[in-house]
Amino acid sequence: MEFGIMTVGDVTTDPTTGKTPSEHERIKATLAIALKAEEVGLDVFATGEHHNPPFIPSSPTTTLGYLAAKTQRIKLSTSTTLITTNDPVKIAEDYSVLQHLTDGRMDLMMGRGNTGPVYPWFGKDIRDGLRLAVENYQLLHQLWREDIVNWEGNYRTPLRNFTLAPKPLNGEPPFVWHGSIRSPEIAEQAAYYGDGFFHNNIFWPMSHTKQMVELYRQRFEHYQEVPAHKAIVGLGGQVFMRKNSQDAKREFRPYFDNAPVYGHGPTMEDFTSQTPLTVGSPQEVIDRYAGMREHVGDYQRQLFLIDHAGLPLKTVLEQLDILGEEVIPVLRKENAQGRNPDAPSTPARGSKKIMKVEDN
Amino acid sequence: MINITIVQAGLREPSSTAMLASLMRKHLEKQYFEAGQGVQFNEINLREYTHAIMDSLTVGFPSGELASKIQKLEESDGLIAVTPIFLASMSGLFKTFFDTLSQDALKSKPTLLGATAGTSRHTLALEHSVKPMFSYLKASVAPTSVFAATEEWGQSTHIEERVSTASKELIALIKNYDKRDDSKPLSFQELLNSKQNP
Repeated sequence: MEFGIMTVGDVTTDPTTGKTPSEHERIKATLAIALKAEEVGLDVFATGEHHNPPFIPSSPTTTLGYLAAKTQRIKLSTSTTLITTNDPVKIAEDYSVLQHLTDGRMDLMMGRGNTGPVYPWFGKDIRDGLRLAVENYQLLHQLWREDIVNWEGNYRTPLRNFTLAPKPLNGEPPFVWHGSIRSPEIAEQAAYYGDGFFHNNIFWPMSHTKQMVELYRQRFEHYQEVPAHKAIVGLGGQVFMRKNSQDAKREFRPYFDNAPVYGHGPTMEDFTSQTPLTVGSPQEVIDRYAGMREHVGDYQRQLFLIDHAGLPLKTVLEQLDILGEEVIPVLRKENAQGRNPDAPSTPARGSKKIMKVEDN
Repeated sequence: MINITIVQAGLREPSSTAMLASLMRKHLEKQYFEAGQGVQFNEINLREYTHAIMDSLTVGFPSGELASKIQKLEESDGLIAVTPIFLASMSGLFKTFFDTLSQDALKSKPTLLGATAGTSRHTLALEHSVKPMFSYLKASVAPTSVFAATEEWGQSTHIEERVSTASKELIALIKNYDKRDDSKPLSFQELLNSKQNP
């Protein structure tokens, strides 16, 4: 099983000091966080993609390409790559190059993006989000598998005799996750292609996550004709730890109370009981996350969000130390115990069946 | 067994809004009893969920007891919704509760509307400001809605008559209500094929 971190890349004022990092500082901090993740033994670093302030990751493969040169072991990934507003041909090219640069030490996660105004900036409409995700991925899937692509769709200029360069490393396309919080169509899409399904549950109750993962596993069994436990599942998570539980709560509370998205809403106590956010001692985090597989089955990837809401770099690096030294080693053991030996240990296609979409 | 959800946004104790809602409940119980049919009620007194409703707005999902109340509402055969009139419109709490529901939660749902206010000058607020929201949500609203001004509570049988008429209308709507959802979203296969057959 893989453990890692995912960053949103938000530039947020630290509510305890009033200091806002510059975009430059935030970009450099992101790199430091990724390098530290490798140093403390994490398996994955994933970056989001955003095309509006207050976010900095508008060009993920630039960042990941830099990190590829600076790291040796950690897998580089995305959380998510916008399959709706990016040209699928450009995604195929960018991530093919990244796959070669990293010697295959990468994968990527498709997402739709939920910021309405971003779509028109790229000539798209958020109301077409699902159709874009389906059509664009169909093309991306084809580009990574067929030598000569002839293609026509509704949202992009047709391709005649197009050959992708460079081709995927050793002819093996990058592993793809499909991330969605509430669209069953995306769980179905992941199942159809035999790809991974990532439920970013950080703002959601476990009952909902469980439902979505169950649907994906069922449909995976249906399309891939293999048992449901062969499906590839990833979950989000959010933690803040200190040696003493009360210290963690005291320190994180102002960040929670002012955080983008959920700040100025429920109390930290309510939110931690409703969502996977865990603020406390390393042991509390271990207890909570060792229990995740009871809801979704043996899964393959756990990504934590640890660097948002204005937390200073120093604090984030300390969190990584705690994760790497005290939490992940125990979680690895816990998740290995009693694990179905047939469940894939890491993300890889759970089936050899290739879904080929009819040529038109 | 018929299941009816009562949403009422009364704030004070005692509350004329709660009184109107319970009057509606009483009439429905009586009419269903006379018809030999059982009815049960899922009561959502919004004041008890004030914080939960705001939290649901900020985080994007309802949780705990509010979530199970909303689920019961969605599964109900009918809805009674009663609000005080503030500033010529429904109360903010009432509106916010409905803001947190999914777009289809009230689709075709037989609905009886009621409102209360200090004076009868607010009578048409129900028609002008409350009804349009339920029309937008595609609820099936009973033609008679019940407005009760403070002064009317002392007057003979005025309110009772309207509640009786409105209850009968709600029962008729419930009789013809088909809960099956005919608006299923496009399946993945349909999405996948839509390129081939635009």
